[in-house]
Amino acid sequence: MEHPPSSAPAAFFFWRHLNLLRWLVLSLVFAMLILLPYVSLYQNYVAGHAYDLLTPHERQIYDAMEWITAPIAKSDPAKNLNAIKGNTWSGTLFGLALSDPLAVVGQIAAQMKIYWPFLLTALIPIGLTVLFGRFYCGWICPATFLYEINDTVRNALRRLGLLSSGKRWDLRLKYLVLAVGVGLSTVLGTVVFSAIYPPVIVGREIQYWITDNGMGVGLTFFLITLLFDLLVTRRGFCRYLCPGGALYSLLGRYRLFRIQRQVARCNDCTLCDKVCQFALQPMRDGFGQECNNCTACIAVCPTQALTFHVQLADQPYQGHGHLGAAYKRLQLHSAVKEELR
Amino acid sequence: MERRTFLQRLTTTAAVIAGAATPYGLARVMSPDAHAAPHTHLRPPGALTDDRAFVEACIGCGLCGEVCPVHAIQFYGREGGSKVNTPYINPVKKACTLSGHCMEVCPTDALTVTPKREVAMGIAQIDRAGCYPWVDRGVCGACVTACPLGQEAITFAFANFYRPVVLKGCVGCGVCVEVCPHPSLPIRIVDRSLAKYAPEKITPEMSIPQEATVVVPSPPANGSTAPNPTGSGKGEPAGLLPF
Repeated sequence: MEHPPSSAPAAFFFWRHLNLLRWLVLSLVFAMLILLPYVSLYQNYVAGHAYDLLTPHERQIYDAMEWITAPIAKSDPAKNLNAIKGNTWSGTLFGLALSDPLAVVGQIAAQMKIYWPFLLTALIPIGLTVLFGRFYCGWICPATFLYEINDTVRNALRRLGLLSSGKRWDLRLKYLVLAVGVGLSTVLGTVVFSAIYPPVIVGREIQYWITDNGMGVGLTFFLITLLFDLLVTRRGFCRYLCPGGALYSLLGRYRLFRIQRQVARCNDCTLCDKVCQFALQPMRDGFGQECNNCTACIAVCPTQALTFHVQLADQPYQGHGHLGAAYKRLQLHSAVKEELR
Repeated sequence: MERRTFLQRLTTTAAVIAGAATPYGLARVMSPDAHAAPHTHLRPPGALTDDRAFVEACIGCGLCGEVCPVHAIQFYGREGGSKVNTPYINPVKKACTLSGHCMEVCPTDALTVTPKREVAMGIAQIDRAGCYPWVDRGVCGACVTACPLGQEAITFAFANFYRPVVLKGCVGCGVCVEVCPHPSLPIRIVDRSLAKYAPEKITPEMSIPQEATVVVPSPPANGSTAPNPTGSGKGEPAGLLPF
């Protein structure tokens, strides 16, 4: 497709592929959440020297895990497979303990005192969130993986004319959920978020399903959020209700890396507005603190007008895209006016 | 803002929050704390002693269960009420072996690294009416053999009589509960304050069942092998030996 030359440079070519990379990361995180409980089971069987006592199903797990982990486990699976443990709520990654900032907030609220070693494990996630905003929601959250698949289903149903366009509420609703959750944690003396926060539910229920007696009550809650997203509004839980999303939005309010529209390259095609699952309308420029850096808009932009900028605040609305018809009409009008003067 | 709009928004907000909180609230309300039997719901080693403090500190990440080498740690489900997703150990199914992995990985202060001998999960208590050697039904000693703390925690009451007694060093890991072959599960892990344990010095009198009146046999001279059921060659009366 040929475009007239434009004053603004095209977006760095790699940004267009970030969305694909993001899907790889999301799939990897989700795959790890399934793999790690099996690794744990395998380590248990190895520690018990119990191959001869296993049931046929357990032997299948043992053999499969032995084959998968052979290059890493070497001779001692009990010692050599401990590099990655846990889930996105809290875990160890190559000796580095990492925790979800929401877990720290919830635990401080429940305990009403600060346990510093636990707070320190959330420092790296907090730092990254301050720089990149809600990147966790778009790049790591295992619930996002399922919610985006759910959104694809929703789009297919909408194309068939089965669903309406969805409800709209105030995006600040989730801050209320965060505040209520902190209050409830203090009153009840439990970390309430761990029961209602989708990523921890997904990670935990997969673990229960594989190593324990099956999924628990969290599954019901998660299915309800999936139905809410499907039938009521697009990505509704993430946008309106998720307490983690609220916390990251607050932390990432003055984030440094922002996706911005270069108005000189924009042709008003509105593809980015349609693809944005958070309905943030890149065409209107005001991203706010909600953007989860999913980069779907960059990938879909036909003129490479969207790119990352390093700045503390969003640009105000820049007007129609310079390659679009509306802008040209305006230019023509002013030219004609000049001519007539 | 008009009052009508304000009221509409207020109603919608309340409805959405109530809708989101209802599953959680229902789960809590419909299943109040079931007061699970404490001896089958032990906290992992190194846990905060106050259970309320433990529930406040635990974030329910499941790391302890994942790293447990024997998969002893389970998690409360809906039935746990406010303890939902917190870990427990049922020694009847699978007991803690005091490997200490859970304490090392726990990101919070719910489980803190504790030396093996200072762990306080409880203390084992043996119902002598259900223990084979104590009721003269055979040779056992499974609990003493399996105990990860060895002779500090549980030992035979007297030399080769195979009658186990719990000592002060028991930390309540529950391995004896798991290995006990008696179907009535005569060993239970109870709160330390409720427990009775044998004194440091084991005397021959301790191996006498309370109700029975038997002649206390003298300890075998070499004492290395299991006593002969017939009691031959030592001058011990055959019918009085505990098997």
